[in-house]
Amino acid sequence: MSERGAIREFLLAFADDEHLMGQQHTEWIGVAPFLEEDLAFSSIGQDELGHAAMLYELVLELDGIEPTDTAVDTLAFGRPSHDYRCCHLVEYETKDWAEALVRHWVYDAFEAMRWHLVTGTSMPKLAAIARKALREEVFHTRHADALLDRLLAAPEARSRLLAALDAVVPMVPGLCEGTAGEAVAVAEGAAAGPTAGLLEPLLVAIDRRFSAAGLDGRSVGSACVGGPSAGGAANGQRGRTSRSPDFEPLMARMREVLDYDSEAVW
Amino acid sequence: MARSWATMEDFEAFLDGGGLVEADDDMPDAYRRAVFAFIEMHANSELMGALTERDWIPKTPGLRHKMAVLAKTQDEIGHGHLLYMIAADLGVKTRTQMLEDLFAGKSRFHNVFHYRAVTWGDQVAIAFLVDAAALISQQAVFKNCSYGPYRRILRRIITEEGFHMRLGEDRMMRIAEGTARQRGMFQESLDRWFWPALQLFGPDSVPDDELLRWRIKSERNEVLRDRWVQRFVPMLQSYGFTVPAPDLRWDTEAERWDVGPIDWEPLRRTLAQGGPDSARRIGEAADNWQHTAWVRAALSDGNGSGA
Repeated sequence: MSERGAIREFLLAFADDEHLMGQQHTEWIGVAPFLEEDLAFSSIGQDELGHAAMLYELVLELDGIEPTDTAVDTLAFGRPSHDYRCCHLVEYETKDWAEALVRHWVYDAFEAMRWHLVTGTSMPKLAAIARKALREEVFHTRHADALLDRLLAAPEARSRLLAALDAVVPMVPGLCEGTAGEAVAVAEGAAAGPTAGLLEPLLVAIDRRFSAAGLDGRSVGSACVGGPSAGGAANGQRGRTSRSPDFEPLMARMREVLDYDSEAVW
Repeated sequence: MARSWATMEDFEAFLDGGGLVEADDDMPDAYRRAVFAFIEMHANSELMGALTERDWIPKTPGLRHKMAVLAKTQDEIGHGHLLYMIAADLGVKTRTQMLEDLFAGKSRFHNVFHYRAVTWGDQVAIAFLVDAAALISQQAVFKNCSYGPYRRILRRIITEEGFHMRLGEDRMMRIAEGTARQRGMFQESLDRWFWPALQLFGPDSVPDDELLRWRIKSERNEVLRDRWVQRFVPMLQSYGFTVPAPDLRWDTEAERWDVGPIDWEPLRRTLAQGGPDSARRIGEAADNWQHTAWVRAALSDGNGSGA
């Protein structure tokens, strides 16, 4: 893989994760537990979609395409599914708000680490986006932490959140899976290290976050190993080139209006 | 400092003199209940409007377009949030009681949100026609409203609703300049939403309407409705769409558009929670509320922040 191609894959994975995570937050607007949460999810969703748009622009620039809104949308919505580089965690259709909250916390903990990987990147535009995003991530993490602090202290909520953790944790290795050629991108200075290097600190962070309230015998680390969707090659993401069963229905929903009339400008 | 009035005549004289009532005033109970009911319905409508739009947010065609639509819906929920706060300050119901009454089908919200948005064109029609109707109503209330907290919050709401209407107009213009399929979709949306939007203003005000007497509202329903008709009929026509009013005519003498007789039966049905989408809308909202009760229970700390 060329150096440009390796950097492109790295950026595309980042952009696709942000896009689908933002998309998933939009599903919770108006149906969160109370009005303040509707507002929070909406605001966080906008931030993530904004990051996605800026990252897609960088991909387009690498491709030598002018990054207009139309070009961004073509890239964001118009690829065959095997050309997406998102992880299964952001494709996952949550079953309840507990899963949405746990995923929100886990994703944002990972996202902050990922942005830190690129604050010293050789790509000035990416570094600028990282600085902006990290300012926003402080609020995202604070939001999820504030809720978890209180909810984990309540017995029923705690048991729901631990069940949600059981659903989310097996997808964590996939979240930290890099793209093909990532070592080349790192060697080129696009990032300070590989995405896979974030798995260990992320698992430690998850354990610290949830074990304070007791994990009832769970081990966050071992939940990632050996399960049906455990990390690395075993989870079938193949360098983020495979899609989970939730991807196609999600993308069909996202594309419904676009597919109504391919000539249309909306 | 809290004020009080010995008689309703004194209170009405205060209102007639342009007085502004504040939350801690010892206002007559009838006024308190009337202003509360009005704000509660406004708050409910902001929330149910957000739920109506929600069905299409994940399908918004375009990344930055979706961010704009999200910002709009966030504004609507934010309006609901502010309105529920000032309604709760009146001491008639808590915010939780208002929401639970809404989800139990016991309280009202605007007729338009008893309908379902079935295409993206409907989403645009709501942002364009319905937000404009709401804006016309709110501007009229803001102009002279006697309840201070509501009037101050309306200033912000009106500013934001103006942006929403412009967003809707911009999207409508793209469709108007778009493909035959897009235009066809939007014409069908107009056919569905024109009359409900027009009926949002309600039937003609009754002569002794206490909302007008107490300056909770400042203009009659039929005046506001006509303002909307005179603005939107020519605008829709100028973009090449057909106004779905078979008896529509230009009154050359009065130099104004007349939409013909209005069938109020659909409005009456929505007021009785019997609109085309009332059962689903309220039922789904009630289910969501129930499914997330555990969060509110866990966060409940006596100050209402969890509900």
